[in-house]
Amino acid sequence: SNMEDMYIKPGNQERGWNDPPQFSYGLQKVRGPPRTLLNQRAAPPAAGTRTKHTWLSCLSVYVANIFCLSACLPPGCIATTPPPSGPMRGQREVDSSQSEQPEVAPDVDVVVLALDRALAACRQTATDQVCNDVAKRLRLLEDSWRSGRLSFPVRRRMDTLVQALQSGHWDMADEIHRSLMVDHVTEVSQWMVGVKRLIAETRQLSPELLEPLQKSAEIVQDPVPH
Amino acid sequence: MATYQEFIQQNEDRDGVRFSWNLWPSSRLEATRLVVPVSCLFTPLKERPDLPPVQYEPVLCSRANCKAVLNPLCQVDFRAKIWACNFCFQRNPFPPSYAGISEVNQPAELMPQFSTIEYIVQRGPSAPLIFLYVVDTCLEEEDLQALKESLQMSLSLLPPNALVGLITFGRMVQVHELSCEGIAKSYVFRGTKDLSSKQIQEMLGLTKPAAAGQQGRPVPPQDASASCRFLQPVHRVDMNLTDLLSELQRDPWPVPQGKRPLRSTGVALSVAVGLLEGTFPNTGARVMLFIGGPPTQGPGMVVGDELKTPIRSWHDIQKDNARHLKKATKYYEALANRSAVNGHSIDIYACALDQTGLLEMKCLSNLTGGHIVMGDSFNTSLFKQTFQRVFSKDYNGDFRMAFGGVLEIKTSRELKVCGAIGPCISLNSKGSSVSENEMGVGGTTQWKVCSLNPSTTLGMYFEVVNQHNAPVPQGGRGAIQFVTQYQHSNTQRRIRVTTIARNWADAQSQIQHIESSFDQEAAAVLMARLGVFRAESEEGPDVLRWLDRQLIRLCQKFGQFNKDDPSSFKLSESLSLYPQFMFHLRRSPFLQVFNNSPDESSYYRHHFVRQDLTQSLIMIQPILYSYSFYGPPEPVLLDSSSILPDRILLMDTFFQLVIYHGETIAQWRKAGYQEMAEYENFKQLLQAPLDDAQEILQTRFPMPRYVDTEHGGSQARFLLSKVNPSQTHNNLYGWGQETGAPILTDDVSLQVFMDHLKKLAVSSSA
Repeated sequence: SNMEDMYIKPGNQERGWNDPPQFSYGLQKVRGPPRTLLNQRAAPPAAGTRTKHTWLSCLSVYVANIFCLSACLPPGCIATTPPPSGPMRGQREVDSSQSEQPEVAPDVDVVVLALDRALAACRQTATDQVCNDVAKRLRLLEDSWRSGRLSFPVRRRMDTLVQALQSGHWDMADEIHRSLMVDHVTEVSQWMVGVKRLIAETRQLSPELLEPLQKSAEIVQDPVPH
Repeated sequence: MATYQEFIQQNEDRDGVRFSWNLWPSSRLEATRLVVPVSCLFTPLKERPDLPPVQYEPVLCSRANCKAVLNPLCQVDFRAKIWACNFCFQRNPFPPSYAGISEVNQPAELMPQFSTIEYIVQRGPSAPLIFLYVVDTCLEEEDLQALKESLQMSLSLLPPNALVGLITFGRMVQVHELSCEGIAKSYVFRGTKDLSSKQIQEMLGLTKPAAAGQQGRPVPPQDASASCRFLQPVHRVDMNLTDLLSELQRDPWPVPQGKRPLRSTGVALSVAVGLLEGTFPNTGARVMLFIGGPPTQGPGMVVGDELKTPIRSWHDIQKDNARHLKKATKYYEALANRSAVNGHSIDIYACALDQTGLLEMKCLSNLTGGHIVMGDSFNTSLFKQTFQRVFSKDYNGDFRMAFGGVLEIKTSRELKVCGAIGPCISLNSKGSSVSENEMGVGGTTQWKVCSLNPSTTLGMYFEVVNQHNAPVPQGGRGAIQFVTQYQHSNTQRRIRVTTIARNWADAQSQIQHIESSFDQEAAAVLMARLGVFRAESEEGPDVLRWLDRQLIRLCQKFGQFNKDDPSSFKLSESLSLYPQFMFHLRRSPFLQVFNNSPDESSYYRHHFVRQDLTQSLIMIQPILYSYSFYGPPEPVLLDSSSILPDRILLMDTFFQLVIYHGETIAQWRKAGYQEMAEYENFKQLLQAPLDDAQEILQTRFPMPRYVDTEHGGSQARFLLSKVNPSQTHNNLYGWGQETGAPILTDDVSLQVFMDHLKKLAVSSSA
C-alpha cells in the first residue's frame, strides 16, 4: 500500500503524561517479524563462561570493566569535542529510493458518482430504509468534501476505495474503510458507516446488477498485496 | 538435546510451558527441600502458526474419574487396537473410526511432535461474539468526544455478525434499545438502587421466554437475538448506533461546586451482568466498561461526592480508614463471580488523572479474564491504540481473543495439583489429584478462564506426593496433561491438549542434575506470582520476608560454601541470575506500594499475573540496552554504572519505555551535530534506539508510556529509580568519576543485598 499511509504521529502530551506515539493503521498491519529482539539481559560479567563463578569475582571483574571502559573513552568527553564522524558500524540503511509518481487529484464527482451508482444497484435488493440511510450519509460525505472539510489523505483513500469497489475487490474496499476509521475517525465517522454498509450490500449483488457499477471503472487495480 | 536452555526453549515454543524444574525430585520430602515448588508457567493458547487444528473429537480414557486424552505418551497395541492411559494405566479399545491405524498409519495425536494438539469440535449451534459497551457520561467534553469516536471506530473492527449493546450511565443508568428503525428508545434505572438479576430482566422485558438460560443451557442464539432488542448484530445496527453515539451527551445533571459528579458505576455493571445473564449465559461475551472517575453513588460506591473527601490512599487503608473499601469490594466480587459463572468477561478502561476505584473493581477483570487499561484521558494515543489492539487479529485473520475457557489438569499419580495463579476462577472440581496444600487458587483440577488471548499465561503449582525412600516411580517419568476447552473467536468450540513429561530424579544421588535442570527465569516469575498473590491479602513486609526466606533457603541448598565463610559462597550457572531477579522484584511496584496509589498497584499486579514469561520477566527486571559508537546495541547491566555520558540507553519496564541520552550525547544533540552531513553517523546513533522502541511500541499491550529524556532531565528519574544503585551519594568517593551516575538513594544496592544473602546462606545458625 501507499507509503503515505505509513506514518507515526506524536501522542497527545497535553492530555496524557508521556503519551506514546500513534501508529497509522497501515503501519500496524505491515509489521513483519521483529528486526531486533530486545529481550537480552547482560549477565554479570563472569557468567558467560561455563565455569562456576562467585558473586565476588563477578563484582571485581565488573569493577575492572568499568575502569577499562573509562580508559577507552576519549579524554574528557565534553561538549566541545565533536562526535566521531564518518559512517557507523552496524547501521541500518534507510531506504530513500522511493520515488513519488505524480498523482491525479481525487475528484469528488467521480467518487460520488460511483458511490451513487453502487447505491442505485443496491436499491434492487436492500430495503428502502437502509438505502435512504446510506443515501443520507453519502450526501454528508459529498458536503464535507465540497466544503473542503476532508483532508487530502482521506480524499485520496476514498478515491482508492471507490476504485476497489468498482473492480469488485470487496475485501480491499473494506480494508480501506477500516484504515480510514482508525486513522481519520474524526473526519469520517459520521458518513463512513454508510460507505461500509454500501460495500457490504454491493458485494451481495448478482453479476448483472453489478454491471452498471463496473462500467465506470477504467483500470482494474491489482488485488490487495499480500 | 545439547543444553537445557535449548530444551527449555523448544518446550516453550511447542507446548507453551516453562517449568521451574525440568527434572522432578522423586519424593515429597526432597521436593520441599528444593524450596521452589515443581510448577510451571502455562500459556494455553500460545500462537502456533505451524499447528493446524484437527477436525475430530479427542479420544478419552474410558475410566470415569480419569478421562485423559489419548496422547503420544500412551502405549499402543496396534494389533489389538488397544491403548493404555499413561495417567491411570487403564486399557482402552480404540473407537471404530481408528480401525485402520498401524505403526505406519498413526493419528496425529500419537506422534511425538503433537504433544500439543488442537481439536475442532462442534456441539450445538455456534454462538456469535457479544460486546456490551458500558459508558460513563460524566466525562469532560473532550474525553467524551474522543471516546465516542473510538467506539464508533470499533464498530468497523468488530466482525459483522457480532452482537453489540450499549449502556450509558451517570446519575442514571440507561440501557439503549438498538434497532434499524429510526426511533431511539432506552430503559432508565436509578443509580442508587441495587437490583437483583431477576428484577433487571423483568424491567427490561426479558423474562418472557420462560428463562431457558436458568438451567445453564445456552439459549439458541437466533431466538435470543430476536427477543433481545438490546444486543443486535453490528451489520444491522451500525448506522443507528453510530448516530446514537454521536448524539451522546454528557450527563445532564448539574454538578454543584465542590462536588463530584454522581456516577452509578455499580448499578450500570449490575444491569450489564444481569442483561447478559438473562440472554446469553455460557456464551462468550465481553462487557467493556469505560470510566472517567470513581463510582460515587449507589452500590459499589468507592468515594462520596464531596470533593473535600479524597479517595482512599494506601495510608488510609493501612489505618483502616477507607470507609467504602470493604463493601464496594464485596459488591464487585459478587458481580465478578456471577459474570464468571456465565462465562462473560469484563474489561475496564479507566481514563482519569485521579484514581477511579480500580482497587475495588479489579476483581471484575481479574476473575473473568478481562483487560484493565489505565490512562490519563480517552483522548490519548495510549488509550486509542490499546483499545484498537483489543481487536487485533492473528495470522489467520482471526481475533486474538477466545472465550469461555475451561482449563483442566491431569497428573501422574505421583503428582498433585496445588493451584493456579492467573485470570481464572476455580470450578471446584475435586478429585484424587487435588492437593491439600493450596497455592494460589486451589482445591480443584479445573479453572474457568472467561476470556483469554495468545499471551494469557497461568502459573500452575504442583506437589510431589511420592513417599521418601520409595523407589523412583515406574516408567521413570511423570506426566501432566493440560486440556483447554474454549470458544474460538470464529465461534468454533475447540479443545487444545498439551501433554508433557519430565524425568524423575533421585534428589540424593542426582542433585546436580536436578540443579542444572533449574529454569531460573521461570522460577523467578513463578515465585513472584506467589508473592504477588500473597501481597493481595498480607501486609507488604510479611511478603518480602517470605520471599527473602525462600531465597536464603535456596542458596543454602544449592550454594557451594564453607560454613561461616561468605567469601567462599558460589552459585552455579543455572542459579546465577536468580538472586538478581529477586533483588529487583523486591523493589518492583508489584510488592512495593510506596509512590503508587492503590489503583496503580492493582493495575500493575493485574498485568503481572497474566503475561507470559518474557513480559513478566521484563516487569521484574527491566531490560536495558546501550547504544554507542563502539559497536551494535548491547544489553547492559541494570545498574547505575551503565549510565555513561557517551551512551544512549533504552529501558523497557513493560509499562514504560525510556530513552535516555547520556550527558555528552545530549550536549552533541543540543549543538545540532546530527544536522551536519559529516556527522551522519551521529544522526543514525540517535535514530537507532527510536527505531527499536518503535518495534516494542507496535506490539505491546497495553501501550506503554514513552519517555524521551536525557542526563539531568526531570524524567531521568524513571531510569534512575530502576537501576541498581551501585553508586550512591553514600559511596561515590570509592568509585572515581566518569563511571556511571550516582543515585540519590538509601536503598541497598545489589552488592549489599548479595553480601547479606551470602552471609545468611553460609551462617551455621541460620
